Amino acid sequence: MLPIILLSVFGIVLLFLGFLKTRAVLLPAALLFILIALGAGFLEWNKSYLYFGDMLLINNLAILFSTIVLISAFMVVALSGDFLEDEMAQPAEYYAILLFSIVGAMMMIGYENLIMLFVGVEILSVSMYILTGSDKRNLRSNEAALKYFLMGSFATGFMLFGMALLYGAVGSFTLTDIKSYILLSHGRPSLLLYMGELLVLIGMLFKVSAAPFHFWTPDVYEGAPTLFTAFMSTVVKTAGFAALLQLLSVSFSAIYGFWWVILAAITALTLLAGNLTAVYQNSFKRMMAYSSISHAGYLLIGLAALGQQSRSALVFYSLAYSLATISAFGILLLVAKQHTTDGRPDESYSAFNGLSRNNPLLAFVLAVSMLSLAGIPLTAGFWGKFMLFSAAVDRGMVWILILAVLMSAVGIYYYFRVVIAMYFREGQAGRIRVAPFYQFILIAATALTIILGIVPGLFQNIM
Amino acid sequence: MLSLLIFIPLIGSLGVVLLPASMKSRYKWITLICCSLELLLCGAAYSAFDPTQSGYQLLERADWITLPLGSLGVVSIDYLVGVDGISLPLVLLSGVVMLVGAVSSWKIDARQKAYHALYLLLTSTVIGCFVALDFFLFFLFFEFMLLPMYFLIGLWGGPRREYASIKFFLYTLAGSVLILLVMIGLYLSVMDPVETALRVGLIQDRSEATDEVIRQVQFLLSEYKIPSNLLVHTFDLRHMAKGGNYLPDSFLSVAGEVMLMGIPSRLLAFLCVFLGFAVKLPVVPLHTWLPDAHVEAPTPVSVVLAGVLLKIGGYGFLRIGWGLFPDGAAEYALLLAGLGVLSIVYGGFNALAQVDLKKMIAYSSVSHMGFVLLGIASLTSEGINGAVYQMASHGVLSAMLFLITGVIYDRTHDRRIDHYRGLAGAMPGYTALTAIAFFASLGLPGFSGFIGELFTLMGSFQSIWLPGWMTAVATLGIILAAAYFLWTLQRMFFGTLWFRPEAAGQLTDLDGRERLMLVPLAVLALLLGIFPNLLFDLTNSTVADWIQRFSIE
Repeated sequence: MLPIILLSVFGIVLLFLGFLKTRAVLLPAALLFILIALGAGFLEWNKSYLYFGDMLLINNLAILFSTIVLISAFMVVALSGDFLEDEMAQPAEYYAILLFSIVGAMMMIGYENLIMLFVGVEILSVSMYILTGSDKRNLRSNEAALKYFLMGSFATGFMLFGMALLYGAVGSFTLTDIKSYILLSHGRPSLLLYMGELLVLIGMLFKVSAAPFHFWTPDVYEGAPTLFTAFMSTVVKTAGFAALLQLLSVSFSAIYGFWWVILAAITALTLLAGNLTAVYQNSFKRMMAYSSISHAGYLLIGLAALGQQSRSALVFYSLAYSLATISAFGILLLVAKQHTTDGRPDESYSAFNGLSRNNPLLAFVLAVSMLSLAGIPLTAGFWGKFMLFSAAVDRGMVWILILAVLMSAVGIYYYFRVVIAMYFREGQAGRIRVAPFYQFILIAATALTIILGIVPGLFQNIM
Repeated sequence: MLSLLIFIPLIGSLGVVLLPASMKSRYKWITLICCSLELLLCGAAYSAFDPTQSGYQLLERADWITLPLGSLGVVSIDYLVGVDGISLPLVLLSGVVMLVGAVSSWKIDARQKAYHALYLLLTSTVIGCFVALDFFLFFLFFEFMLLPMYFLIGLWGGPRREYASIKFFLYTLAGSVLILLVMIGLYLSVMDPVETALRVGLIQDRSEATDEVIRQVQFLLSEYKIPSNLLVHTFDLRHMAKGGNYLPDSFLSVAGEVMLMGIPSRLLAFLCVFLGFAVKLPVVPLHTWLPDAHVEAPTPVSVVLAGVLLKIGGYGFLRIGWGLFPDGAAEYALLLAGLGVLSIVYGGFNALAQVDLKKMIAYSSVSHMGFVLLGIASLTSEGINGAVYQMASHGVLSAMLFLITGVIYDRTHDRRIDHYRGLAGAMPGYTALTAIAFFASLGLPGFSGFIGELFTLMGSFQSIWLPGWMTAVATLGIILAAAYFLWTLQRMFFGTLWFRPEAAGQLTDLDGRERLMLVPLAVLALLLGIFPNLLFDLTNSTVADWIQRFSIE
């Protein structure tokens, strides 16, 4: 609870800091605020509290998910040094909105009441709409923001309708009340409950870009400023999955038989759509958009095969995915700046040609993050997949496992295209200057990816 | 000792990476020293190995990863290495071939740092593959072999290197995905009896684990008396080879009642493993990456690829396919042997049709590795001994053959057979060694190739699983080998000297370095051919024991 209050206050403080003449103070301030929130979160470790009229539950799982969100946000902010030099940018507003959106994400992670979920989703989404369109002079960015806004509000509408139906069936918005209603209904809960659950699921699946609700993703990811794409693809996804996990494991685990088939079908569809479409992309950024869809598919396996193991698997996977994704976007940011076509940064694969020649460190960071996303052993991504796949087999979902393993083989193909470009192709990339702190963040993320790949038990012990 | 074998090249590789570029001339020396040390250590391992014992020896074990997975119990992954009579010959072979490859790498000028770092990494993973006794560790080395190989072909290869390297990568990767599936299935189905006994509380310390305790744990397991959260799942190949450690009702349980698509899941798992390693061996029709990779790869990489990497396919068959799923091996013996014969004959005919010397040799590899599959599929002691022998023999001979193509290619950058005639006049030493390599490969008695082919054919002829005509068809491979090798010899080396005008003045005879690589290999081939017991003594008791208890019980 403390981090939520702190971040709300800090966001407002940042807005006022924006009035200062010098912009240099903004970045360190934002980083400091996130760190304080991170530390404050751990004050409640091993205690389980209900807040705000029993609408918010903070337990270890919520703290872990919040930590991933905060780490992602910290990295994204740390990579945002460019804004301070850009005349057009308004960093104070951006950082404030980022902090507010984290508040929304944390509410989605720890909600105990559907109203809280709705408020959290709205805070996060509205922040994202704004940030997507923050590159005001870029037509693509505007288009993306509008598209995201229209589709997103539609999805929110679905979700709200679902919640209303759930209320109609149960008479309460509280997750545990829904659970006890199902348990007391002797296996014959009202039809409204099923409809409501489906509609809420649809709304949430839209947010995490699962197929067939994923069509907005590539355009929005491509149009949004790269940094916010990184934020969107990690924080929103982590929060979304935490919310789905909470909903399904607390409220609806008793009617698992009803929804697992639907979720399994969506999982399969998402895996297929994400991976197969990613193969045909020529822009790295667009490939990353489809890759984020495919990773939503892998994460969905953990939900479709909901069990004891799902929690730790989802947490681990989110962490591995966030680390790799943010470092990949971090490199893209640097590389795309070097090559501009028609005044726009070049985000195609060819921008990476010959990167290893003069920038071996950057090439290595990107290679490791691609390996981790592809799920090659000795990276964190491998263990994430391993845990999720084990969960699937434990539930006897061998078909999902086979599909997922095959799709990860497809994934290796498109992730390696970047590696090929960096190491095999000739390019004219000169040496790219990287700020020391920027470099430090990239190295730290890479090191963590490798460490978690070699000793995954390190993390498991915390759980 | 085995850990040193893995880590010396790894440290060497790190050393190459860390050394500043000003010490460029030292890189190849580091590679050479590391590979020489490897060979010495292989020799030490050979002398420490007791060939009369059939179990794993020179074991080294360390706890690595222990992951509690809630209701799924605990996953334990160990760092576990050891050798038996099947893996030791292949370790020795790797020692020899990697050293030859290191000498052959002397001429690589471009990006030396990356090349030597990758080469040493490749050495480490190859050895690791042969000594790993933990499935996960094995898989790790298996996957990580791909990366250096991919870069070695893709960065230092010929004009179509990008196509060849990605093809190699994707083919092998598709195979390893199938292996990964089975690996996941296996670890969910197998428990570690010792660790489980510890958790259940039957014993207090690992050293108390007697056969009695293990039997007790296995009995409890079969009676469903061990709660699932106390089960320790393992990747240990030794435990996976014992039926008592399989969980009843699990995905790959020994009783084999779980069906997938109407096929028992164990048989399906066997087919997956088979396909995975068949890409590597390679078995027709999964072989198409091999000629491409060979043609584009630089000489030392071709040497390593043919000399050692293909053997990992055969080794995987024995250790994982046949070792863990004997039921599948027996069920599909006919099909597998058929594929082996197909590889022999198809590879032979293709070799006959090639005009590029390197491609011809690549197809001859396909044909020769077919004998390995035939021998293994025969499920007889002769067949399997012969298969291991054929792998070792082909490792030596194919290294020689690819070095020979390297020699001509280094001089003229042209490998077409019809662009040369009567080379014997210009390069007598080269011709002599080529003739030795060709004759040894086509199975001339007195050379190693003969013994390997003879024993695999004997095995397949005796096998109760295979019809006699199969062996008869397979012998066609020997005739084809004679045809394509002798015809090539005749076209390129005999007759009056003729070559394309561009090659004028470049056809000098072997230099000292090339002799240094080729002569020891020729001697080795001869030695193995005259004293086959050098290898059979190593393999025999392991194989005999293996055949005797050829079932998962």
